[in-house]
Amino acid sequence: MSLANLAGRAAWVFPEDDYDIDLIVGVRNIKITDVAELASLAMADYTPDFAAGVQRGDVLIGGHNFGYGHPHYPAMRAMRHLGITAVIAESFSPGFFRGETSMGFPLITCPGIRDAVSRGDPVEVDWATSVVRLPARGLALPLQPFSASERGMLEAGGLIPYLQQRQVAA
Amino acid sequence: MPQTMTEKILARAAGRTEVHAGEEVTARPDFVIAYDFPGYTDVFFKETREDFGIAQVERPERFVLFIDHMVPAATPKEEELHKVTRAWGREQGVTVVERDGIGHQVSAEQGYAVPGAFVVHFDGHVSQLGAFGAFAFGARKGIIESFVTDGATLTVPATVKVELTGALRPGVMARDVFHHLVRVMGPASCQFQAVELSGPVIDAMSIEGRQTLCGQAMFLGATTMLIAPDERTLAYVRERSRITLDPVYPDADAVYAHHWKIDVSDLEPIVVVPPSPANTRNLTEFTGLEVHSGYLGSCASGRIEDLRAAADVLRGRQIQPGFQLHVVPTSRAIMAQAAREGLLETLVEAGAFVSSPSCDYCFGRIATMSDGQRAVSTGTLNTPGRMGSVDSEIYLCNAAVVAASALEGRIADPRPYLATVASAGTNAGSTTP
Repeated sequence: MSLANLAGRAAWVFPEDDYDIDLIVGVRNIKITDVAELASLAMADYTPDFAAGVQRGDVLIGGHNFGYGHPHYPAMRAMRHLGITAVIAESFSPGFFRGETSMGFPLITCPGIRDAVSRGDPVEVDWATSVVRLPARGLALPLQPFSASERGMLEAGGLIPYLQQRQVAA
Repeated sequence: MPQTMTEKILARAAGRTEVHAGEEVTARPDFVIAYDFPGYTDVFFKETREDFGIAQVERPERFVLFIDHMVPAATPKEEELHKVTRAWGREQGVTVVERDGIGHQVSAEQGYAVPGAFVVHFDGHVSQLGAFGAFAFGARKGIIESFVTDGATLTVPATVKVELTGALRPGVMARDVFHHLVRVMGPASCQFQAVELSGPVIDAMSIEGRQTLCGQAMFLGATTMLIAPDERTLAYVRERSRITLDPVYPDADAVYAHHWKIDVSDLEPIVVVPPSPANTRNLTEFTGLEVHSGYLGSCASGRIEDLRAAADVLRGRQIQPGFQLHVVPTSRAIMAQAAREGLLETLVEAGAFVSSPSCDYCFGRIATMSDGQRAVSTGTLNTPGRMGSVDSEIYLCNAAVVAASALEGRIADPRPYLATVASAGTNAGSTTP
């Protein structure tokens, strides 16, 4: 099994280091469980047109230690619902990284990405060569490889199907 | 090859003689800990049963579930969640601990913090069991692996050694030390790494001060934080430990990713200003700022020395009229001890609103702030909106600062209040266990 390459646009570039992902839907909304409602609130504190502008396949770009704070799940549930397929950042906070990877959602560590990308730029992820390509800028930045289990979770579509495969194999 | 504490603990749990930083292992958790929370435990129970067809979890004695959030329940739906948890515990033969306090503290009190143990939770604040020399990490929803198998897969983290030298001044508490580390080392300084804390400051520090430090490891970007057990640790765990393991110590020549030596002799009380737990500032920069409420509690603070410090500040005094001071001891055992010591009486007479242990004040489920309000808090986090309105503000600080601020209705320095106490023979932030 292999991962499908990603191709989309940078739907948002978070310039901040230590970004707290609760701010994506707003801390006041993190207890909402309805994913469509969460999606409608995504980035509403930043720009009113975010949800409408996202295209399936788009990605988010972040700085260092993205996901610092408490790594609650609603933000990325909302983003996935809108069609976001990955976050590519300088680095991630480990709790956030673990949590979302186990959802089968790729968090891609790629030093140099934040300053190389502007909102709306096309972004491609090529797993075979382990690079993030920025066609508009003629750049290819290496991404940090995943561990075997992380790769397994991403390929299987999350920890549950990954563990089910292991259960069947055992 | 020489090994760190983390490498030794994970090697044993993985059934290996050694493991080294960077390799991925599947290790056998000695304990699997969780608190019930919608979307977490209820889902884990369902997934275990329906997605994996597991009617009975392996080794139910390794599990413990805490009911500490939504206590007491405020809606029938919340109580329903607790009912589901109790029923699952009965059905599986899994211990459910209810109303004994915040699980991260109660798990230490009830013997799950065993030196050398490998512990998995979904919540990263479980790192505070590292105060006892355990490797405890928050797997987020990855914890389901430990429900449906007897293992937990992780990459062995490299270790950052942090040696704290000097001695703490009066009025400076473990809480201040932690936030100072974030200031000096940086909020991403230990990403995906374990931290081994040591040095004379740690040697002199109470068990509970160590719990405070280790529990906040995530705000250094760390996976967890550990302290090698000493006599104080072993005395604490001797009568409590549920399993017998050899305590683990780092090899003298263990390889560290980085070695920090930080002198805290000049450290002053700090305040962590919104919107991020990375914003450590000296308290004196913010004294005088009007605040409307104060929270003394949480898994980070709210233990007996925190309550003693607050009582020392408040004894014989009255908080500002209209100021909302919420004091929530971290566990029932701590609350009972505070009662025996007369601390609750002191706090209540001063005007504090004292509640039984619960996580609910920390995340604004109760004692909620509205627009424009400002709190001093010993909670874990100061993200805007965590304690109510996104237009309210949270200033994190130590327990004595919360108490002094309650007296003045402004962010206040507790040291002048403590000075009068110190001359009478007690000392907040003291190192008594």
